[in-house]
Amino acid sequence: MEQKEIQALVRSVLAEARNFDGYVIIRAQSRREWSMRISNGRFERVSTGWDSGLGVQAFTKDGASGFATSDVLAEGVGRKLVDKAIQLARRNEAMGTTLNRKIWEAPRVEAEEGNPAQKVFGEIPLVDLETMVMSIHSSLRSAFSEGVWQTSYRQIEEEWCIGRTDGTLVSFVIPRAVLMHQGTVRVQGKAQSTMIHRSGMDATVLFEELADHVLERKAMDRAEFARAVCIAPQLPSGHYPLIIDYGLAKGLAHEAFGHAVESDHMNESVLGEAGKLRKGLRVARPGVNIIDGPLVGDWAHQPYSANGLIRQTVTIVRDGILEAGLGDIFSAEEAGMPVTGAGRAESYGHIPLPRMSNIRLLVDRMLPLTPAEHLMDEVKAVRETLLENGELREGEKNLLLLGYRGGQVNPKTGDFVFQCDGIIDVSDPKLPIYQPSIFSGKILSVLQAIRGGLGEGCYDAIGTCGKGGQSVASSGGSHRYLLMDADQQVSLGGENG
Amino acid sequence: MKLVAQLEDLLYQFQQAPKTENLRLSAWRILVNDSEAVSVGIKDNSPGSVYTPPSYRQGESGEVFLVWADGTCSQAMVQLPALNDPEYWHKELEQWRQASYEDPDASHIPTPEPLPLVAVEDRAIRTIISGDDEILFDQAKRWLTDRPAQAKMQGSIQAAWGYRHVRTSTGLAVTYQQSQFVSWFSFDSLIGGGFAKRRLIQPEEQEALWSLTVSRYEAMQKEAPPIGPQTKVILAPSMTEEMLGQFILPNFSGDKVIEGQGAFAKENFLDHTLVFHPQFSLTIDPLRPLELGSYLVTAEGVPADRTVLVRDGQLQTPFLRVKDAVRWGAKPTALPHGTAGLYLKHQAEVPWVDALQGVEDGVLVLSVLGLHTQEAVSGSYSLSAPHCIRILKGQIVGRTDVKLTGNFFADMLASTTKTARSDFDTHPYLFIKTGVQTL
Repeated sequence: MEQKEIQALVRSVLAEARNFDGYVIIRAQSRREWSMRISNGRFERVSTGWDSGLGVQAFTKDGASGFATSDVLAEGVGRKLVDKAIQLARRNEAMGTTLNRKIWEAPRVEAEEGNPAQKVFGEIPLVDLETMVMSIHSSLRSAFSEGVWQTSYRQIEEEWCIGRTDGTLVSFVIPRAVLMHQGTVRVQGKAQSTMIHRSGMDATVLFEELADHVLERKAMDRAEFARAVCIAPQLPSGHYPLIIDYGLAKGLAHEAFGHAVESDHMNESVLGEAGKLRKGLRVARPGVNIIDGPLVGDWAHQPYSANGLIRQTVTIVRDGILEAGLGDIFSAEEAGMPVTGAGRAESYGHIPLPRMSNIRLLVDRMLPLTPAEHLMDEVKAVRETLLENGELREGEKNLLLLGYRGGQVNPKTGDFVFQCDGIIDVSDPKLPIYQPSIFSGKILSVLQAIRGGLGEGCYDAIGTCGKGGQSVASSGGSHRYLLMDADQQVSLGGENG
Repeated sequence: MKLVAQLEDLLYQFQQAPKTENLRLSAWRILVNDSEAVSVGIKDNSPGSVYTPPSYRQGESGEVFLVWADGTCSQAMVQLPALNDPEYWHKELEQWRQASYEDPDASHIPTPEPLPLVAVEDRAIRTIISGDDEILFDQAKRWLTDRPAQAKMQGSIQAAWGYRHVRTSTGLAVTYQQSQFVSWFSFDSLIGGGFAKRRLIQPEEQEALWSLTVSRYEAMQKEAPPIGPQTKVILAPSMTEEMLGQFILPNFSGDKVIEGQGAFAKENFLDHTLVFHPQFSLTIDPLRPLELGSYLVTAEGVPADRTVLVRDGQLQTPFLRVKDAVRWGAKPTALPHGTAGLYLKHQAEVPWVDALQGVEDGVLVLSVLGLHTQEAVSGSYSLSAPHCIRILKGQIVGRTDVKLTGNFFADMLASTTKTARSDFDTHPYLFIKTGVQTL
């Protein structure tokens, strides 16, 4: 269904609700996806799919809500969903729910954003995409035959239209594409896997990769690193000066900090007090900044919230001081923060929650670093830069953590964990490699440990945020590397120390 | 017209008399799920908050797998067309044709076989979906009334019911009703309890689950003595399930084994390599009545049957979808639904209450942070586990925070690893000797 047709549908479903004395939000979505996976030179799967539907969130005039969804994007179905959502909202009111009338205060927005993709969905026929992905996969297999390789490519286009009782009608298109290599290597009977990706809005990522082989080189470097990790020793657990790559820094900003400033969590967040954001709290040294906001062309780009508000770019931490949170219309005021259009949902079938888009962690004190073509050359450059600037701590390990494997946080307790692909001690000129171990600590300590950045900003670390059981695209980054002092509240797991 | 009927008409037509020979199908299969669900949630002690309102969901969608006359395959996700376009499915079929690829092992569509009798539907859930849903709202209210006074409670109750349709070009035409009931609650986002089966929870099950969770929550209010070098680690059933999901399931997936992307090689299975302690077995059992992992037939048309993955500690088979079975040279096996349907059994398993009495110095791990980030192929883990329960001399004495470091394959092979049966969960408590430190 095209953007205009979806808009017309949303208008007509909204019209059905005109006699209701409450408030209604309609979310319509049409999602198209092509995906393929090649394993060891053979197509494992090529899949096409449409997924579309309607979600209706109704509010009684006193602010109790109900929600009804269907995967049939049709007017008659929309009418039934409106009735059902209203009925559930009334049930909810009778149950004694906490009432919330904030949606009545939302500004009316009328906007239509076209598709920002350079190559619109379908412009490159699927058969051509298959040929390109196979070519990329074959090239990697030839170049690194010691690994078992799986290559996948996903291309998605989401059309959203959000309509509200107040006349708001917001429509936008989100295109995204990702090319991934997953490798498994074995040394002395021990196995390790590695995964690396290249993302963008559309099939341009394939054309770029065919031209420059950047992902292939990274995959080979990471596979070589994984081979070394297979037989690497474990570190004793403890507290070390750390250097983390920008993927891990994104994880740090996202897991350890971003979630703790989302407005629906303020009752349980360590960055909240009596349900309000602890604005003015020093959480990092001067010069540390955390910013969240959509970037055009990015994996997690979304220009409007799923409640039909403009998504704002927010400076969460400015110069080490907690300044703002990520607020959606329903809980921002209660959480003591402005509404920033932070509501995002996995699909029409989910209730939007306040959450991040692209989060970046930046520091004023940045040492220049020229990116090297190969991983270990870059690690050498990191060591040399640190030595030249007197940043290597004498007589102690300085550990470079490479590759973000994901993380998790408990915003209530402030505990966080991350996992990396492996660790290198850059204080030792031999650059010894160690097995990965969990990087864990307390939110309120970890930012205080950041003492500088190395290299320019890289913001294309992508992932999928699973908050509330919904899978939503997330991204972010930092300087190429972040430097962190040893801190008693931030530790690496590993062998018993 | 229902989606499954539209698809059947279309695929039969293009098998028998396609518009062009290029679009001729030689075989196909269809899976359609036609379901409705109602749910209600609790957030921060508020029933049906703006983030967890009472919800109704209706969906009719599925997937098709096609084998074209030239032997190539296509697969696609499908749902009812939004517009009344008589040419819609023909256009879709042309696109599916464009997406076709060569995968000769995948092109086998099984011939129909007798289906087992498995209970997968609770009629009481259908009643809820039909509108008699007070039970959900009453349960949410009761939880909030009974919760510990100081606790910030989150929770959710969901009932789902619907039809599952499986059709194949070889003559399988199965439609059956299935249901699902999932409920969970947590206090202060630290400790919780959950239930997930194809039937409603019984009042006595709810009461026992609630009492256990509340008593553990209360125990967590006290700081416990720190752990020592002799402290035994006990994984709660939900943790055992998560460990199986992270480290075992991916390595028993037939495609991973065949492609050399798992922890075990095909030869390990053929040689029946010992990978668990000989007292352990691991089974996929979709035949247990009203369990979440139970079904009558797979999406590929394979009747449900029990499959032993590990017997007496030795590898038997990975789980094999039809394509993997062709490549393996065996029959397709049972398939797990996530970790549902997967059963780990130790020959010397005892009830939890008895096992607890015998714990001199232990720590019960209820949850960990970051398990999903761990390396599945190596089996190694390095985990942070804040808010564990400390056990001394068979008694729960309070809360402690630990770090775990080890290897799950080594845990499963160790003679010191034991299990205890849970009253509420299909997965057992798992007693392991692993690296444990104070967090």
